[in-house]
Amino acid sequence: MSNSLVIDTSTNRTVVGVVTDGKLIWSGHRDGATAHGPSLPLLVQEAIAQHSIDQVIVGMGPGPFTGLRVGIAFAHTFARARNIQVIGVCSLDAIAAQIEEKDFIVATDARRKEWYWARYTKGIRIGEPAVSFPADVEALGHNVHFALFPDLIAMTNLATQGSITEPMYLRRPDAVATADRT
Amino acid sequence: MSQPIVLGIETSCDETAIGIVQGRTLLANVIASSVEEHARFGGVVPEIASRAHLEAMMPSIEKALTDSKLTLADIDAVAVTAGPGLVGALLVGVASASGLALGLGKPLYGVNHLAAHVSVDFLTHDQPLDPTIALLVSGGHSSLLQVDDITQTITKLGATMDDAAGEAFDKIARVMQLGFPGGPAIDALAKSGNATAINFPRGLTTSQDWETRPFDFSFSGLKTAVARYLESTPNYAKTDVAASFQESVVDVLMLKAIAACKESGIDSLAIAGGVAANSRLRAVATERCEKAGIRLRIPSPALCTDNGAMVAALGSLMVAAGRSPSPIAFDADSGLPVTTIAL
Repeated sequence: MSNSLVIDTSTNRTVVGVVTDGKLIWSGHRDGATAHGPSLPLLVQEAIAQHSIDQVIVGMGPGPFTGLRVGIAFAHTFARARNIQVIGVCSLDAIAAQIEEKDFIVATDARRKEWYWARYTKGIRIGEPAVSFPADVEALGHNVHFALFPDLIAMTNLATQGSITEPMYLRRPDAVATADRT
Repeated sequence: MSQPIVLGIETSCDETAIGIVQGRTLLANVIASSVEEHARFGGVVPEIASRAHLEAMMPSIEKALTDSKLTLADIDAVAVTAGPGLVGALLVGVASASGLALGLGKPLYGVNHLAAHVSVDFLTHDQPLDPTIALLVSGGHSSLLQVDDITQTITKLGATMDDAAGEAFDKIARVMQLGFPGGPAIDALAKSGNATAINFPRGLTTSQDWETRPFDFSFSGLKTAVARYLESTPNYAKTDVAASFQESVVDVLMLKAIAACKESGIDSLAIAGGVAANSRLRAVATERCEKAGIRLRIPSPALCTDNGAMVAALGSLMVAAGRSPSPIAFDADSGLPVTTIAL
């Protein structure tokens, strides 16, 4: 029996769970687009008070950068402190896993009036997640599922398929080189 | 019983830094800088810095453990910069620190970056640090502080009203096309220049300023004066401009720092922050403090710029003083006032 501490901070909701053998044995969440920093330690503190942890699974996005990094940074140091492994998964895939449709799109708020999104056919993601304006995503003509949160059990299933090591930012930092300024 | 071992994490700007301190002994001081990634933008880009922090965090922790020949199980407490600084950058450090503290089941201290700068001298000089006047000068801050107790009582005497001293170095270096950061470049050029060649203004030093804002600084007038001089003087001598500009900054900093010592009756001055690595400031401070009978405490240049050792040092002082740890969950505070030493 192995307990996974599952963390996702890719949306406005900080989600934490403990999953054992495909069952969610503890979960908690706190809402707030800028509250991941204080929310995550409180949730994890509660989770580990009741359960031992054998591995950490963390959502690597895509998601708004600052909150996303909170989950990833925390997951890595926590895992290192316990000498256990940390596995990164795609947060959008963990949302899509809850949807039983043949062809659909999952989207989350990317701020700046844009969406992070990916298309799924028969449960399989088609291509890489992207960031686009909603109108451009809707123009593709598929059913769009917006503003859902990653499923914790789905995250543990995704973790068995390999680990994503880089955060999925999908945008470059805003900056203009001195030489390119007008 | 051996003294507690504290691991400190600093990510307030563009340095990902891990320090490990036992009591007042420095065991590791690892700094990964993203400064080269910012150079072409002429300043620190917050999102670039934050991404670099996340990337550098685990390798830096591993290196600090290797350097100190310790394992995480040896760590008794974790300290982290909670502010002030760039909020996205701070959050990487705070999240990493809380993950570490919760994972290890050890106390967490969220500390003030500015107080940490002042406290680092505790690692190099064995006399008690406080009470002291502290001149804190970096790219983001220029303040005069009265430190009665580094773990709980710091009073702000004055601060810059516009640019920080280090920021002024960066801006002048940019106009003179010396690259970023500007401090080391100007320091080097100034060595072969004449510091009295150009009489640049000394901000906030009129007799009225001494009455109303004796311990505040202003460097924007100086910056404008240098820019005007450069425009109106084709073929100017770069070395003389660098030396004269630097002299103006150093002169004002030391005038006010020594005045603060005299007014408070505290005959100790600690200089900290990146600009404390400036060779002219170190020389003038040594000379004037000796003359005024003030004990000068100025860390080695490597401990002046942002580092993790200073965060671990303040954590170590907090532990030694029996201060309560911070709550396990706290938010990074980009504007944390220097009077709040720990959360």
